[in-house]
Amino acid sequence: MEDTELEVSPTPSDQNSPSPSSSPSLSLPSTPSSSCAPPPAATPPLGVISEGVAELSLFIDAEVAQRACQEVLQKVKLQQVEGDVPSQHSGAKPVPNSPPVALTASGKPMKIREQEDDPEGLAPGSVKSARRRQRHNPSKQSWLLRLFESKLFDVSMAISYLHNSKEPGVQAYIGNRLFSFPHEEVDFYLPQLLNMYIHMDEDVGDAIKPYVVHRCRQSISFSLMCAWLLGAYSSDMHISTQRHSRGTKLRKLILSDELKPAGSRAHRDPLTFSLIPFCPTSSPATGPGPLGGDHGLSPSKRTHQRSKSDATVSISLSSNLKRTASNPKVESSQDEPVRLAPQREFIKSLMGIGKRLATLPTKEQKTQRLISELSLLNHKLPARVWLPTAAFDHHVVRVPHTQAVVLNSKDKAPYLIYVEVLECDNFETSSVPIRIPENRIRSTRSVENLPDCGMTAEQRAGSFSMVPNYDNDDEAWSVDDIGELQVELPEVHTNSCDNISQFSVDSITSLESKDPVFIAAGDIRRRLSEQLAQAPTTFKRDPEDPSAVALKEPWEEKVRRIREGSPYGHLPNWRLLSVIVKCGDDLRQELLAFQVLQQLKSIWEQERVPLWIKPYKILVLSSDSGMIEPVVNAVSLHQVKKQSQLSLLDYLLQEHGAPTTEAFLSAQRNFVQSCAGYSLICYLLQVKDRHNGNILLDAEGHIIHIDFGFILSSSPKNLGFETSAFKLTTEFVDVMGGPEGDMFNYYKMLMLQGLIAARKHMDRVLQIVEIMQQGSQLPCFHGSSTMRGLKERFHMSLTEEQLQLLIDQLVDGSMRSLTTKLYDGFQYLTNGIM
Amino acid sequence: MSQVEKKAGLLRRTSSSKKPLKEKVVLMYDEIFAKEDPAKHNSRFWDELFLMKVNLEYLESKLETVDGEEVQRIQDNINSLFHHCVQALGEEHQIKVVNALQTLCALFRGVHQKNKSASGFDIINMLMGFDKAEQRMKDLMERLDSLLCGDGSESLKSLCLKLLLCLVTVTDNISQNTILEYVMINSIFEAILQILSDVSSRGQHGYDAVVLLALLVNYRKYESVNPYIVKLSIVDDEPTLDGMGMVVHQALTEYNRQYKDKEEENQGGFFSTLTSMVGSMFIADADEKLSVQTNEAILLALYEAVHLNRNFITVLAQSHPEMDIAATPMTPTPTTPTTPLGTTPPSLDMMNNPELPLDPNLLTSNLLITFLKYASIVMQDTKDEHRLNSARLCLIILTCIAEDQYADAFLHDDNMNFRVNLHKMPMRHRKKAVDKNIPSRPLVCAVLDLMVEFIVTHMMKDFPMDLYLRCVQIIHKLLCYQKKCRIRLHYTWRELWSALINLLKFLLSNETTLLAKHNIFHLALLVVNLFNMFITYGDTFLPTSNSYDELYYEIVRMHQVFDNLYCMVLRVSTNTGQWKEAASKVTHALVNVRAIINHFNPKIESYAAVNHISQLSEEQVLEVVRSNYDTLTLKLQDGLDQFERYSEQPKEAAFFKELVRSISLNVRKNVSLNTLSQDVLLKEFSTIS
Repeated sequence: MEDTELEVSPTPSDQNSPSPSSSPSLSLPSTPSSSCAPPPAATPPLGVISEGVAELSLFIDAEVAQRACQEVLQKVKLQQVEGDVPSQHSGAKPVPNSPPVALTASGKPMKIREQEDDPEGLAPGSVKSARRRQRHNPSKQSWLLRLFESKLFDVSMAISYLHNSKEPGVQAYIGNRLFSFPHEEVDFYLPQLLNMYIHMDEDVGDAIKPYVVHRCRQSISFSLMCAWLLGAYSSDMHISTQRHSRGTKLRKLILSDELKPAGSRAHRDPLTFSLIPFCPTSSPATGPGPLGGDHGLSPSKRTHQRSKSDATVSISLSSNLKRTASNPKVESSQDEPVRLAPQREFIKSLMGIGKRLATLPTKEQKTQRLISELSLLNHKLPARVWLPTAAFDHHVVRVPHTQAVVLNSKDKAPYLIYVEVLECDNFETSSVPIRIPENRIRSTRSVENLPDCGMTAEQRAGSFSMVPNYDNDDEAWSVDDIGELQVELPEVHTNSCDNISQFSVDSITSLESKDPVFIAAGDIRRRLSEQLAQAPTTFKRDPEDPSAVALKEPWEEKVRRIREGSPYGHLPNWRLLSVIVKCGDDLRQELLAFQVLQQLKSIWEQERVPLWIKPYKILVLSSDSGMIEPVVNAVSLHQVKKQSQLSLLDYLLQEHGAPTTEAFLSAQRNFVQSCAGYSLICYLLQVKDRHNGNILLDAEGHIIHIDFGFILSSSPKNLGFETSAFKLTTEFVDVMGGPEGDMFNYYKMLMLQGLIAARKHMDRVLQIVEIMQQGSQLPCFHGSSTMRGLKERFHMSLTEEQLQLLIDQLVDGSMRSLTTKLYDGFQYLTNGIM
Repeated sequence: MSQVEKKAGLLRRTSSSKKPLKEKVVLMYDEIFAKEDPAKHNSRFWDELFLMKVNLEYLESKLETVDGEEVQRIQDNINSLFHHCVQALGEEHQIKVVNALQTLCALFRGVHQKNKSASGFDIINMLMGFDKAEQRMKDLMERLDSLLCGDGSESLKSLCLKLLLCLVTVTDNISQNTILEYVMINSIFEAILQILSDVSSRGQHGYDAVVLLALLVNYRKYESVNPYIVKLSIVDDEPTLDGMGMVVHQALTEYNRQYKDKEEENQGGFFSTLTSMVGSMFIADADEKLSVQTNEAILLALYEAVHLNRNFITVLAQSHPEMDIAATPMTPTPTTPTTPLGTTPPSLDMMNNPELPLDPNLLTSNLLITFLKYASIVMQDTKDEHRLNSARLCLIILTCIAEDQYADAFLHDDNMNFRVNLHKMPMRHRKKAVDKNIPSRPLVCAVLDLMVEFIVTHMMKDFPMDLYLRCVQIIHKLLCYQKKCRIRLHYTWRELWSALINLLKFLLSNETTLLAKHNIFHLALLVVNLFNMFITYGDTFLPTSNSYDELYYEIVRMHQVFDNLYCMVLRVSTNTGQWKEAASKVTHALVNVRAIINHFNPKIESYAAVNHISQLSEEQVLEVVRSNYDTLTLKLQDGLDQFERYSEQPKEAAFFKELVRSISLNVRKNVSLNTLSQDVLLKEFSTIS
């Protein structure tokens, strides 16, 4: 690519990442677009068209986009030359082949327009009029241009201009500029982009679409994400318009799986090849990947398998074949892999479980049903499926079904599952791990052999004779479990067990010295109570609140435990993830809140204000379902209070130590920083429904607010409760050392700093909310003053002194607020939440 | 269907009434039993024969009437019949296949009936001829295999299985059935597995397939290498194992359901008082019709699977809602890529498709729960021999489960809680527990409950010593696991302790009668060692510190039993006699229990004396116990947490031989009936094709 390098141009690395390695031909398509006027949704001969699409897509890569950007810029510049000579600071020279193009400028953005576009989109009229408009305000244009070319121009600004600018030229330019931003940065604004695509006018849609289509071709997960969001954000439209809306059409196009990667042939071959390892015929030995099935199997297992294949090649073959047949997830190598199907199936079955659980009356039944449903789901795993909330590429290999819990909810059935995954380079191309049967863990577990530890020789011989017939001729049998396992016994286990109580194993071995060993009964009793006391504080199991125990267990502990019990646990790339599956809940507000939180978090980071908040990832699957990334190592204040029967301060003292200890002080600091962060969030977003069930406390002392179901203009039941700015109970203040303490002042200072920082970048926050308001029926946008109210809460007009006063007022008001207390009482009465 | 049945019934009656007019097929049979080659005059004889409806009774009775010399004479013809039967199995015409299958049935049965005493080789010779036997049987097994695995009619498959069951059970002792040698060489194991792995075929033939497998595994189990054992032990295909589990699950569930219905029926209204009065008697009569016998085969299959196949253990815990897994397949939806866009239905939200029939009242269950419930029913009454056998087998299966570490892991899994409604014998002195009171607990609690229940309900003159030993050993194995893994199970151990103490009490009071038949010292030793486990290793697995105090309380409270036991074993061990050694072991085992009693009793007495209380409350005793631990020294005993692993041979071999014999008889009886009704079914089938 020749380096004409406008300043606008992104950094080289950015260009490289999205472009497919095959060098794209620069010859622009001789626009066949106008010829295929009917939208493809109606045309049956898809095969033909899809080929065309595949070819076309070659042009939509970063390079072309870059070129298009330049052309648009060029055009704008030419217009400026017409007006007055701008002080161009950029070293941009006209791109060699662009001037002729620029003369017919208005048509330019069409070059990268997808042929699926509605024919009206090609009508030049609108563009012409746009040009006319542009001409009228050249000075503004120049400012815009300088901005667009500047290094400061980031995704946030791009989105903002895309939303606010009424000029198609600018919109088209930004649509093209999108290609040059890093994927992750654009991904953050995907809800905004798609909402604009759905609800704004043609020009914006046309500007966005090429980018979206391009990304869809590249990535399965992006495709699905788009499809889910498009579905969710289209749902507020009237049903009749919805069916024909742009959003619905694009969603259908994506889900039809027409958007295969460009240059598919070249790319698909390695893909299908990589499928071979989990085809039936290949024995574990041929699995080339690092995830080979017998990776960490013990020698005994190998002999077992070898002997098996010797003896019964035919059954193992046929049974494997059967498994393939009965497992829809296993793509066979002959057929073209269905790109989106496995993941959609996976999500669908998770949602189906949620739906069915909702019909069961008691928590206990729900829990049991959940476990059994998940164990069925396990039969289909591993597969090319993944958790979209995770930060790395992986394949889901197993759902430890017994660990799943139903969460507290009155009529819905949200549930929390843990998911074992194997990290991989790229979930689209890496081969799916081979299934390892459940009971294989026994080879890595340590316990089975333990009863044999103290066995005498004859006893052990006796245990061998359990299968007497095979000792002679079938060696695989003799090493069944006992001999081999002894070696594999992880030392950690024996140590951890036995250094607590010196007796159990040691004494038995020492018995060989014939002297009788005496022990004091008091010692046994003492050890018992000591060990019970030593055990980390756990919550008592309560069938009505099954999640409390599961959430209290430290994450590392849980990971270790599940890993130990998993047949895949020995693989080095094994990871544990968790996710909350919500069915019947609209998570779009949650997503909005996540975005705002994330934005504020990065603002505070940028401004170096030590406020602590934890935005947790939200996946919107439709307008009434989704997934939430659980906050690990955290339990709700309600559960804390109910289980411990202590005040918050006492609980923290119990968990972290005396008030002067390092541990407690850092927990307290964490508490204050998070409190300040969330107080501001609650104030700015008007987060309501702040009862103790919706506030978590993590193992480090942070509080974390969850459930943003009532924000901005909506509040629960309109009872007029919770009029205070945020929740600040005396218990909270006690933890901070009382209203006169240093930590409390620190809390107020943090809030002030946080508000000042947020105010500085107010637009970045407002924009997120404002775009989502478009076409939305969400309760948080109820009424007309949502945006104005939000803007006012940033108090742009106040001086810092005035702001400080405001913070003091807010804090005082919240502390004194009767309504907080009243609201907690109300929750206790109605929902049993303490 | 029922009409067809009626019609068939009518037909048969008319045909039998007109005796002089012989059926054509009967005439043809007569020809076979004549000297000459029946095909000599009629080259299409065999073709025609298999087009005729088989007359099983006639053919069988004919075979039975043939005596020694005639056998020699007609052997060629019988060989030829067998040969043509096997060939007919390959025919396209399904009627011929059906008839051939049935004819083979009759052949196997008839020949065996006649020659009960004859050696297997003679029978093979008579049926197939020695020189050709190997080839014939190979052909037969291959044909059966392809019929079972093919996409043919389900009734055909069913008939194939009946034939195999018939063949496997023609002798009382399966190991004497020499023909099975060929079934060993030409394995149909894969076909059985395929039936079990497929949902629809499992539904129709699963039961037969599982029974067949259980029987085949027991062929010359202890004498030779049985390929079915080897193969069964290495199956690791989950759908197949699950399928096997489902079949067992369904059979046991069905029994449990019937039992419950019956019980409810009996307890309705007027009877309820009566039942509780004469409870045990009544129950024994009432469910006589619910034959446990029919489930012996299923239990045997479960045992073989658990015992032989380590992978099967996971199936036990495979929980499923009480409905067929078949109802919830995750069918792939490849609609979008294959159908053109225009034709896709406007399914905007894929997730809205309801896919499962749902009954919220159904409780989730798994094979283990069902098995435990079944065991609780079977173990209620062990007077009948079949029930005793079933109870024994249940305990053996539980022994295997308790020894398996994976099984232990899920038994103790704190996240897998279930309510298990065990059936308890109605007894005068206790109320029937209301179902709803049962808390949801880890499964091991149900196992322990079952053991406790057995211990307290079977202290009778005709003492099932063998079952008691197994029972106590199962508890011991579970305790060993808990100790090793530091699992603190929240279980009401007190119930177990008092059950065990009562057992000791029973042994003491019936010493003389019991000693005539049993070595009660062995059982006593095991029981005392359970207490020793709690005393010396309680710190590793008791749930609370209080429970350790309670253990001491219980021992001290019941000290008389231990005192008496000590006196008794001391007496026996000082005398010379056959029990000397056994009794002296118990004396040694009692050392810590006696130390506890001797330590705390005086303390408690003095506490009472000092405080002038005649009757100490439990809390007061516990207080004394707590404050006096430190002066008590215990002796660490050897090998408390070791146990002998279960092994089938040689100890259980005789039991299984007998069991298999009983199953064979039962299956044979039922198969013959079934085959006839199958005949009716095929009538319908013939009209369709």
